[in-house]
Amino acid sequence: MSVGFIGAGQLAHALVKGFTAAGVIASHRITASSPDTDLPTVTGLRKMGVNLTTSNKETVNKSDVLFLAVKPHIIPFVLDEIGPDIEDRHLIVSCAAGVTISSIEKKLLQYRPSPKVMRCMTNTPVVVREGATVYATGTHAEVEDGKLLEQLMASVGYCTEVEEDLIDAVTGLSGSGPAYAFTAVDALADGGVKMGLPRRLAVRLGAQALLGAARMLLDSEQHPGQLKDNVCSPGGATIHALHVMESGGFRSLLINAVEASCIRTRELQYLADQEKISPAAIKKTTLDKVLRQPGVTGAGVGVRTGINLFNSSNPKQKKN
Amino acid sequence: MTSELSQLKIGFIGAGNMAFGIAQGILLSGEVSPTNVIVSAPSNNHLPRFQEMELSVTHSNVEVVSFSRLVFLAVKPHFIPTVLKEIASSVTHDHIIVSMAAGVTLATLEALLPAGACVLRMMPNLPCVLQEGALLLARGSGAGQEAGLLLKNLLSPCGLVEEGPEPWIDAHTGLSGSGVAFVYLFAEALAEGAVKMGMPSSLAHRIAAQTILGAGRLLRDAGKHPAELRAEVCTPGGTTIFGLHALEKRGFRAAAMEAVEAATERARELGRK
Repeated sequence: MSVGFIGAGQLAHALVKGFTAAGVIASHRITASSPDTDLPTVTGLRKMGVNLTTSNKETVNKSDVLFLAVKPHIIPFVLDEIGPDIEDRHLIVSCAAGVTISSIEKKLLQYRPSPKVMRCMTNTPVVVREGATVYATGTHAEVEDGKLLEQLMASVGYCTEVEEDLIDAVTGLSGSGPAYAFTAVDALADGGVKMGLPRRLAVRLGAQALLGAARMLLDSEQHPGQLKDNVCSPGGATIHALHVMESGGFRSLLINAVEASCIRTRELQYLADQEKISPAAIKKTTLDKVLRQPGVTGAGVGVRTGINLFNSSNPKQKKN
Repeated sequence: MTSELSQLKIGFIGAGNMAFGIAQGILLSGEVSPTNVIVSAPSNNHLPRFQEMELSVTHSNVEVVSFSRLVFLAVKPHFIPTVLKEIASSVTHDHIIVSMAAGVTLATLEALLPAGACVLRMMPNLPCVLQEGALLLARGSGAGQEAGLLLKNLLSPCGLVEEGPEPWIDAHTGLSGSGVAFVYLFAEALAEGAVKMGMPSSLAHRIAAQTILGAGRLLRDAGKHPAELRAEVCTPGGTTIFGLHALEKRGFRAAAMEAVEAATERARELGRK
């Protein structure tokens, strides 16, 4: 089995690092494409032994499982470009936040009768094989396709299937979650530093405390509330600290954060579904580089003012 | 009424915790015979505890309707349409259909049943499982006063049973359905306060629970306004008034009101979907 990544940025880099560490696939069976060869992640991927190319078509031709690891607004361009090269064997896995399976299928149905599409939401800790991934299955994807994806993603952390309508909530919770944790550790470290600890030690201990607590929780049948109680000796330091947190509305802040991230994801999806993005919103350099690739024409990727991204009814966009 | 109850054939479609709690309550009074009660579920997983109560069990929802006069719909809300389509042709004017499904309106229920069917909605809460529930009933257009009274009588061992117009059901959900969780949150916080002050956690939790239980019973049975009861506990310059002041400073009352409001609004929203 060969795996391809359209896009060679943070996500592709993290997944490849995880997959190769897990030994679930050899790096020479992985291809990644990117128009920008100067990115540090591109260098990182090359060092891992991944085949790098500037041609998305080449990635498609060399892969069975194809991850779309580009920013959401690039997805329609990519789909138009690679559409004609998709074959029956291909399993397309989109990792783009807010991009629906139906919008991808709609695009690919111009080129193939039954494109196999799946959508996944993962997070950056896949790089250390402690990712949190969910996936939803498209209309034409089979049970075995789901199992294959699950096998791949389970090698880099927790992976489970969900209904697509839950993916925005997952984005809010575990997609953005690592950022909440980094912020928490940073602030905890500040607290340590304030009370006299050297910064490096404070960060190390803060991170370890979160890691250890998470491990305890995942390994335990007990409710987090019970585990919290177990740490709080009567009249002790921890309960005093917890009181401070409750006074500051800590719990409500976290609820609000997850909600805000989920709502924003939905907003972005809504904007994409409106099918209009101004050319200015798209990085001009990226578009130029997409256009410079062999076989890609301006008309082919719908370059005109007021680009309609998911307009499947325009005969001008059909490729030969 | 008594003889009416002893003759009444009762069925439950759905065999979850709520059905079990209500069934237990109904049988407690001794007026209803287990032989007059039947329960259906798609699998055998949840039926044994009903069988232990000597109730009849089946996998057929239609059989429940054929056997019973009063039928409780105790399935999850998203199963209601399927169940109603299945049983509609077996429902007669003699039947009393009582739905426990949150967010499913009388209009929805009536639309899926024969015209003029006697339909009621009831909203229980978790403590129904030990017959300390708070239940609100609402009658559909085909349900007369007698049906309401019969149901109220039947359910009285389950806890507090009241009847009201359908719009009150959402408020009841917010107050009492969700209210149970608000009390649990309060209990946890009370206990943590005690832990902060030096009491071991498990003791603090047990005492918090008993405090709430005891206060609840006095509130229910003493026939006094809660403000009166509160005043009786507050010795001048004593501990309680200091504690109450801390709660008031935090806007505790407003938080409680807003909790009920938020839960009620959400119930209304779900009912509109």
